Amino acid sequence: MTLQIENVIRSVWIWFWCFFGSTVLVPHQGSSSRWTQGRSIKNVEEALEALQAARTGEGGASVTALELLQKEEEFGSIVTFSSRLDEALGGGIPVGKVTEICGAPGVGKTQLCLQLAVDVQVPPCFGGLGGQVIFVDTEGSFQLQRVVDLAGAAVRHCSLLAEDEEQRVAMTTFSVETILSNIFLVRCRDYVELLAELHLLPDFLRDRPKLRLLVVDSVAFPFLRLHDDLSQRTRLLQGLGLQLIATATRHSIAVVITNHMTTRLRGGQSQLVPALGDVWGHAPSIRLLLQWEESRRLASIVKSPGHMDATVQYQITCEGFRDADQSEQLQSKRPRIQTDQ
Amino acid sequence: MVVLLEGMCPGLDKDLLRSLRAADIRTVEDLVSSDIEDVAQKCSVSYKALLSIRRVLLAQHTAFPVSGADLYEELLSSTAILSTGNPSLDKLLDSGLYTGEITELSGGPGSGKSQVCFGVSVHIAHRLKQSVIYIDTTGGLTASRLLQMLQTETDNTDEQMEALQRIHTFRLFDVCALLDCLYGLCSGGLHKARVGGGSVKAVIVDSVSAVIAPLLGGRHNEGMSLMIQVAAALKTMAKDFSVAVLVTNHVTRSGSGEVQPGLGVSWSHIPRTRILLERVETGACVSRPGRRRVTLVKSSRQACRIKEDFDLQRWSGADGEAPSGKRKLDQADP
Repeated sequence: MTLQIENVIRSVWIWFWCFFGSTVLVPHQGSSSRWTQGRSIKNVEEALEALQAARTGEGGASVTALELLQKEEEFGSIVTFSSRLDEALGGGIPVGKVTEICGAPGVGKTQLCLQLAVDVQVPPCFGGLGGQVIFVDTEGSFQLQRVVDLAGAAVRHCSLLAEDEEQRVAMTTFSVETILSNIFLVRCRDYVELLAELHLLPDFLRDRPKLRLLVVDSVAFPFLRLHDDLSQRTRLLQGLGLQLIATATRHSIAVVITNHMTTRLRGGQSQLVPALGDVWGHAPSIRLLLQWEESRRLASIVKSPGHMDATVQYQITCEGFRDADQSEQLQSKRPRIQTDQ
Repeated sequence: MVVLLEGMCPGLDKDLLRSLRAADIRTVEDLVSSDIEDVAQKCSVSYKALLSIRRVLLAQHTAFPVSGADLYEELLSSTAILSTGNPSLDKLLDSGLYTGEITELSGGPGSGKSQVCFGVSVHIAHRLKQSVIYIDTTGGLTASRLLQMLQTETDNTDEQMEALQRIHTFRLFDVCALLDCLYGLCSGGLHKARVGGGSVKAVIVDSVSAVIAPLLGGRHNEGMSLMIQVAAALKTMAKDFSVAVLVTNHVTRSGSGEVQPGLGVSWSHIPRTRILLERVETGACVSRPGRRRVTLVKSSRQACRIKEDFDLQRWSGADGEAPSGKRKLDQADP
């Protein structure tokens, strides 16, 4: 019984998504017969004209690639505090795009997300964005104590860099307290809550124009429960993906999502691949893969429209996500792993 | 569906129209498919008059045959073959994208579909000096990458800016917006985009599956009909305005684990040419991550299953060319 109700809710959701999130379907010439009944042709023609005018006003505006380029440069990107990764990504996690971070448990996905939540708030005079962040936590992995650590480290780092008057003024408002007050945490316990939250997000974003980063940690977890109906899951995920892309583009915010890894068997060989299937893989524009190679942590760009594939080494210290320092490599907070899974 | 109008054909006057309306006949389709004898009795018009009206209407609205010779003449004058700028891809496509046709690229995540779209649009905008319409539904369009590709083609900044202005982009994230945009392009939008010089010769939709696939499946059939509407709009646009349409599609795995283009069998009839992109999964890919293999899956001109290899890093195929700044990154890594 409850299963049936759940199914109904799901299908209602899908159709709600497909049609209410979009503009009104404009009827084309072929389907106007119903309308013409009892009305003169002129009225209908006028109506069509009006519809056409409305259409060109709203969705029909094209942008040349040159304007797009200027916009991209204006948006900037969020630094990761690992100079090698920033270099590979051309400056950091780009604003206006969806970036997926996938990796095995314990490799540092959530750490990178927390780091980005702090980094996005770095004042503009230090090369940051001075933005706010909304953190959607589906796994319950958000640790406030860790954010305080990272924020403290970021504040210390910037205060060391402060040279001119402008930067000193900026430092007066850049503190651990303000960093924490600019992080909005949403805890979603299942996929319905997650979908609902994303659907309501545009209103939230409208009130907070300074918001520059949306983190969903993780997308995979709430959907893993839905393994009984895989095609349903795929459709919901595709809808979710489109929603994320639309949010990123319309509100010019960076969207960062995390994903688990899963084992795929092919021809008797097992291979570790990102979870949620191949079709989901099209949703994020950029895919970062975090992995262990013996005791080294590696971050690879496996998919990106603007960057070449690249692999860099990083480490996670008590200060956060940093470049791997060859000599201090083994002193990082969690030097090994492989065994804790 | 065309509404019956006064003066559409001889004999169709006001009174007759009124009486036809009273009999619930409003469109040409209604009249043609109705039982004439029945209508004649209901509206008290002569059977012969109605029959002749029907014949005229049928003649007016029918499709008419064109001789092969005329068609060939038209083909020669209106069809253009747009080179993609990549020699291996051109070889596979029999020298490039044909106007009036839909070409499809499919491949898994990160297989380079968007890169091929970028390469094609840069080549058409820069070398061929024609306008391109780029409809982006995945948020993957990155203008800085377009600029980077242009920089390998020319050092002249003005030329680069000009080429970028010839690429018109739309960012749409649902099927209704896509249909809206396509109808808008059909009814005049294509001509408007000429402003930057050069007519629109290519329309790129990256990706068509991103907006359609979420609608397919389940107990609802509307998704299928929306998919066919998109296909019809693309086909009409390709034929009527003689533009080359390039769409991208995702891939699915068949039961035996073989990779095949997505969106099912109904969609597979829509594109005239389909190619499949894959990463080259050998030891060599470590040193050359841009390596891709393309396979011709469907074509009306070449033998299917031809394979070609190319390197995404060297789009124009000039082997001696040094890779530009960003592309060197992978070599600088530890």
